[in-house]
Amino acid sequence: MKRLTILFTLLVFVGLQLFSQGGVITGTVTSAEEGNTLPGVSVVVRGTTIGTITDVDGNYSLIVPDDATVLMFTYVGMKTVEETIGGRSVIDAILEQDVFGLDEVVITAYGTSKKGAFTGAATQVNSSKIELRPITNVSSAIEGAAPGIQVTGTKGQPGSDQSIRVRGFGSYSASNSPLYVVDGVPYSGSISAINPVDIESVTVLKDASSTALYGNKAANGVILITTKKGKPGQGQLSVNASFGVISRAQPEYELIDAFDYYPIMWEAMRNADAIPGVDTPADVTTASQDATDNIFDELGYNPFNVANDAIVGTDGKINSSASLWNDYANDLDWLDAVTRTGQRKNFDLSYQGGTENTDYYVSVGYLEEEGFIKDSDLTRITGRAKVNFQATNWLKTGFNVNAATRESNFSQAGSGQSSNFVNPIRFTRGIGSIYPIHQIDPATGLYILDDNGKKQYDIYDHRAGGASSGRHVPAEIDWDEDKDETSTVGARTYMEVSFLNDFKFTTNVSFDQRVLYWTFYNNPLIGDGSPGGRAYRSFTRANSTNFNQLLTYVKTFGIHNFDVILGHESYRYQYNRLRGARTQQVADDNTELINFVTITRSDSYQDVYTTEGYFGRANYDFDGKYFLSASFRADGSSKFHPDNRWGNFWSVGLAWRLDQEPFIQNINFIDMAKFRASYGQVGNDAGIDNYAYQALYSLGWNNQSEMGITQDKLAADALVWESNNSVDIALEFGLFNKLFGTIEFYRKISDNLLFDVPLPLSSGLDSKTENVGTLFNQGIEISLSFDAVKTQDFTWNIQANLSTLKNEFTVLPQEEIIDGSKKLMVGRSLYDYWQREWYGVDPDDGAALYRADDVTETVRIKGSDTLTTDRNNARYKYAGSAIPDVFGSFSNTFSYKGFELNVMFTYQVGGLVMDYNYQSCMSSGTYGGGISVDILDRWQQPGDITDVPRMDASQTSNFNLTSTRWLTDASYLNLRHATLSYNLPAVINNKLGTSRSRVYISGENLFLMNARKGMNVQQNFSGTTSNVFTPSRVMTLGLIVNF
Amino acid sequence: MRKIIYSFVFIFAAGIIFSACEKEFLDNYPTDNVSSFGVTSSTGTALAALNGIHRTFYERRYGSQGRVGIGSWYYHIAEKADDMVFNYATWTTYVRWLNRDATNSYNKSDWLRFYDWIANANVLINGVGEETSGSQDEKDIIVGQALLYRAFCHFNLVQMWAIRYNPAGGNSQPGVPIMTETTTEGQARATVEEVYAHINQDIDAAILLLDGQPRTNKSHLNVDIARGLKARVALTMGNYPTAASFAVLARTTDYAPMDSATYFYGFRISSQSNDEFMWASHLTEDQTDKWGNYGAYVSRNFSSSSIRKNPRSISSILYNTISPTDVRKLLWDPTGDHLNLPPGVTIVGSARRYPYTNQKFIAVSSGDSRVDVPHMRISEMYLIEAEAEARQGHDAAAAAALYTMAVARDSYYTLSTNTGQALIDEIMIQRRTELWGEGFRWFDLKRLNLPLDRNGANHKGSVINDLFDVPAGDNMWVSLIPQAEMDANENMVQNPL
Repeated sequence: MKRLTILFTLLVFVGLQLFSQGGVITGTVTSAEEGNTLPGVSVVVRGTTIGTITDVDGNYSLIVPDDATVLMFTYVGMKTVEETIGGRSVIDAILEQDVFGLDEVVITAYGTSKKGAFTGAATQVNSSKIELRPITNVSSAIEGAAPGIQVTGTKGQPGSDQSIRVRGFGSYSASNSPLYVVDGVPYSGSISAINPVDIESVTVLKDASSTALYGNKAANGVILITTKKGKPGQGQLSVNASFGVISRAQPEYELIDAFDYYPIMWEAMRNADAIPGVDTPADVTTASQDATDNIFDELGYNPFNVANDAIVGTDGKINSSASLWNDYANDLDWLDAVTRTGQRKNFDLSYQGGTENTDYYVSVGYLEEEGFIKDSDLTRITGRAKVNFQATNWLKTGFNVNAATRESNFSQAGSGQSSNFVNPIRFTRGIGSIYPIHQIDPATGLYILDDNGKKQYDIYDHRAGGASSGRHVPAEIDWDEDKDETSTVGARTYMEVSFLNDFKFTTNVSFDQRVLYWTFYNNPLIGDGSPGGRAYRSFTRANSTNFNQLLTYVKTFGIHNFDVILGHESYRYQYNRLRGARTQQVADDNTELINFVTITRSDSYQDVYTTEGYFGRANYDFDGKYFLSASFRADGSSKFHPDNRWGNFWSVGLAWRLDQEPFIQNINFIDMAKFRASYGQVGNDAGIDNYAYQALYSLGWNNQSEMGITQDKLAADALVWESNNSVDIALEFGLFNKLFGTIEFYRKISDNLLFDVPLPLSSGLDSKTENVGTLFNQGIEISLSFDAVKTQDFTWNIQANLSTLKNEFTVLPQEEIIDGSKKLMVGRSLYDYWQREWYGVDPDDGAALYRADDVTETVRIKGSDTLTTDRNNARYKYAGSAIPDVFGSFSNTFSYKGFELNVMFTYQVGGLVMDYNYQSCMSSGTYGGGISVDILDRWQQPGDITDVPRMDASQTSNFNLTSTRWLTDASYLNLRHATLSYNLPAVINNKLGTSRSRVYISGENLFLMNARKGMNVQQNFSGTTSNVFTPSRVMTLGLIVNF
Repeated sequence: MRKIIYSFVFIFAAGIIFSACEKEFLDNYPTDNVSSFGVTSSTGTALAALNGIHRTFYERRYGSQGRVGIGSWYYHIAEKADDMVFNYATWTTYVRWLNRDATNSYNKSDWLRFYDWIANANVLINGVGEETSGSQDEKDIIVGQALLYRAFCHFNLVQMWAIRYNPAGGNSQPGVPIMTETTTEGQARATVEEVYAHINQDIDAAILLLDGQPRTNKSHLNVDIARGLKARVALTMGNYPTAASFAVLARTTDYAPMDSATYFYGFRISSQSNDEFMWASHLTEDQTDKWGNYGAYVSRNFSSSSIRKNPRSISSILYNTISPTDVRKLLWDPTGDHLNLPPGVTIVGSARRYPYTNQKFIAVSSGDSRVDVPHMRISEMYLIEAEAEARQGHDAAAAAALYTMAVARDSYYTLSTNTGQALIDEIMIQRRTELWGEGFRWFDLKRLNLPLDRNGANHKGSVINDLFDVPAGDNMWVSLIPQAEMDANENMVQNPL
């Protein structure tokens, strides 16, 4: 209230000034280094909203009020220049290059700031870092860009998002994902609908001071995406065309071949009956003979040219005369059958330009990308147009419209389907190496061809149980459909009114719509559609609308600079889904629902979520030395009960430009130094149910023709916002004109956690959302940029960043909460493993040993250790964390004349991965399953010292138990991308009639080093592996031409 | 000056338009749910909530297709015993008794499922009353059925997660929590004796409420089902006089055993018109769960990979006890070729063949897995009476009860002349054959304190993980309390490992 009063007083005061007359100032702006004139330079009367930009020739003309004292000239990449007017009517300015980027404009919440004046923690990635990379989804550009940001690995499915965490994991049941804001408006669409070429900058806001103005949704950081706008001056047309190839970036786990497979399974069968050295020799002899006679019956296929009962001898060795028989030799590689070299074709065309009153940017883009798994692809067409128009010197408006259409085939490998039986990654990894893909005649070993002489898929149920019998991934990829077609339309407009010299009122209106049409079809021959076939269609639509009104006030009194903003925002999100499914296909080759007989699903629903907020921020700087920023926001969310729906969020931040102080200016080697600190509180309501507080029964449980409902959840009237309180302290510095860096500390305390508290199942419910629990994240972030060599022709820049993260609960609703592979306790992190404790293998009989929980049960004593072979008695323990000790990235940029080479690595050190995928390849005898080469180290006879238990088909549950045995070092080093580009010399450009031309080769995911071949460490933040679509390697050759 | 005026006009206009955000802007309600308040305000909505329970008896609730309604419980219970034989090593959780583990996901969902039904029933039991609009008869029907559901669920829970009820007495061993209120506080385990007492108390109350009340179809429970359940519980408790008398009471003229001809094609989607079935869930075309239906696991003709690869067989030992003139001899085929299927029924060519596979359960077609889920049949009532009388030494009464059921299956069957243990053995053989696949055998072994013995039949060691024997009274007969319950309920005590 007090602030409002002050503002009002100021308004009156300023209003009085309005009647004074002004004068016209003109001038030209040039570059210090090159001497040329600069179009598009912003010229503003300091402390006001009065300003213009220079035209094509670098000239400007501006009506200024009488009391104006200083003109500010700002331009991207240049140091800002301030000229005292002092009665002059012609003022020229010369701008110098800005080595440390302190005058760089940083996009912030509801505005911009200069980097040097910014009190918060933000990292910006500009278009130059994006345009040469073959990335389809802009989330890829964020990986490695700044410390404190963790990103999951790319996925092989073209266009898929990468998950991003900013400064740890601040929520448990609520969402940990950052808020995306596109051109000033919270964005609910898919990031992959945005063509990276249209992006001017991506800014990650990390601390509360920079995010608090987004109050309600900002707890997990904010990612601001700003699209390009036209620059005044002669129009420019750009063409960016590239062609690439896509392959698998990481190798598969090493699995044993058919010659090892049979003896290993023979051994599993034999040992289930009798174990050498443990059971009597007579029993072992009988069991060996049994296994030799019957192992084929268990496995079902014999790819060798020997009799079914002579594949493995009674000595457990493969028949020495066995070789792969006829067509079997070429038909056992399932992975090869579903992979390919994909192609990536990208063509973008954009043109832009403007006068001092109007600017425009228009682009169209076309992308075609094939994943390395067959039938996984993306075709995307995007279009964007952005126009700004300065109607009068006090009224500005603009319109920004974008549309995208995407079509994607999923080959049933979507990330959400990692447990799907026919996920190709799971399927090919999980199948034993003796099974043919096609039908082969067991009498001849030759393909059984169809009437047209073609090979036929072996879709029958003859494989052993572990080999996904009854399913067939190459066939299902060929015959099924899983396709998304998404259309996105977005429109934004604003009207900006400047008045009373210092005030500006802006209204923004935006509308985003995303429509997704999902086509899903299963064939009648094999898989979930058989017999009869089935089809599923769903149509979903998400509409979001956002209105905001902002009032800004900018004023300078001598060396006091004020910048105040007041605002109101309302947001509405509406989601509709209509879906239907039918079975029993009528005609072949038609997968529309109408072509099926039986309706098995037909339903629809609508969800609505709304928020409303009031906010304000005041920035003050004293003489460009001391900066203070304070903000406040009140937010209401429809997810909470009317009595508890409003939350108040706020922040304060300060910055001190040490380099403006004489005592620092006297130190020669310090070129720049800035200290900043902030504290603030933001909220979170994301990731919980849209109607979280309401007690509900769900519809749709009709019994025959009678209406039926069932209890869905209990009331939660007391739910309130989760709050996130963070402190941030940083030092930014520039030394020796070579080294620029930031050292930063943060501590983020999440309070009132939205927590799905596990309930006793006997209550009939398994959990309930409550506000309980507190956890903190804290860490140190260091980023450095070092100009190792800087000569006229050759420069070498090294950038590196490093982050630490500590995550810890300080309050929990229960003493302990076991959640999958983790256990939450006070003093522990979200991702501390809680696992049964593996001990090793008993040299006497090859049994898997675990520490015993209940020592009165059947146990084995080894030395002073009390152990068990019973999975139910294996003791749990805390066994390390999924969170790494240190993570970050480093990159090198070399440029020599027209050449530039950029190489970026990402890395993490420490942390553990729970490698479930490896575990699944280490079974001690699941007939038919894929087996790792590590199984060859198994225990075979008494005295063997090994960490792989004996093969034993009857002990798979005990021996292959989920335990600390599968925890693996998660450290990795990833050559994330490299780009080599060449600027064609001016002579060639002149001949071509182009202003600038570049050719480049660029690659993503080029090389990976980690503890186990095949292991994909970066799948998720919780450290577990599943069968996600392995990342792909993308290599492209491209050309950018500007006209 | 004009621009100032314009500016202010603009600002005021904008202010009026956008500050008019009404309070209701933040009030949203779902379209696929209804508010819980008011569920018991009228008998109409309360009946909808009751039908929700009926429906979830055959609908997927916890993700996996192996966890659909009570049907999955029935065939899983059958898998754990000796009479149902798996031919192939897949979906072997229960066959191998792995569901017993505290961290097993089936163990968790089984436990949760029964308490979920109890929670839904408790809303009705505690909420339908004076305040509820509607007739007293409607209220009695709703509360009576809810009480029966609560009893049914506690009965299944105590049988799986506690040491068996010992008819000799001393049943102070831990049972399961008795849930009668809507609460999220973890409750302690009542003793087995207390749980059975509460089950009987609920059934007795339901009998009073439901006596004489009609029902719309066989998915609803009436007084006959209450009495039948009372008989089933009494048999488990070894209370044979009560078991026999309530089995007789439950057998009203509405029901009669199927004749041989009907029986040959009796287990399909015709339960509502077949007098054999007292209580059954009927699946309509749009309420099906293709891969999760009861029939997607136990039928012979549906083409799921589970059935194609692993058609369920009967134990060869049990099969060989069936008389050649008995219609049930035809429901399992010792050759596995199934040349004698009901008219119009086919088995897909890719289905694997194994001896003694069943054709008792017949799905609508190879592409439609629906089979009605049988919860209580009239034959069970005859079998309960026969067993209960025989165990009391009333051989003549026992033989007579058995005869009515057995002669309907086999017209050559003659009144048994067996007495004593021989008669009991004959009744048990009849019971095993008659109720194959319907979820009784493992509970019978447990209540009678018998060992699991899978030797000598067609069980394969590689499929059942060499689990041929489990001694009577072994810890393995009691499932461990799910870890999730242990973690969230400080009053909970674990069973012996």
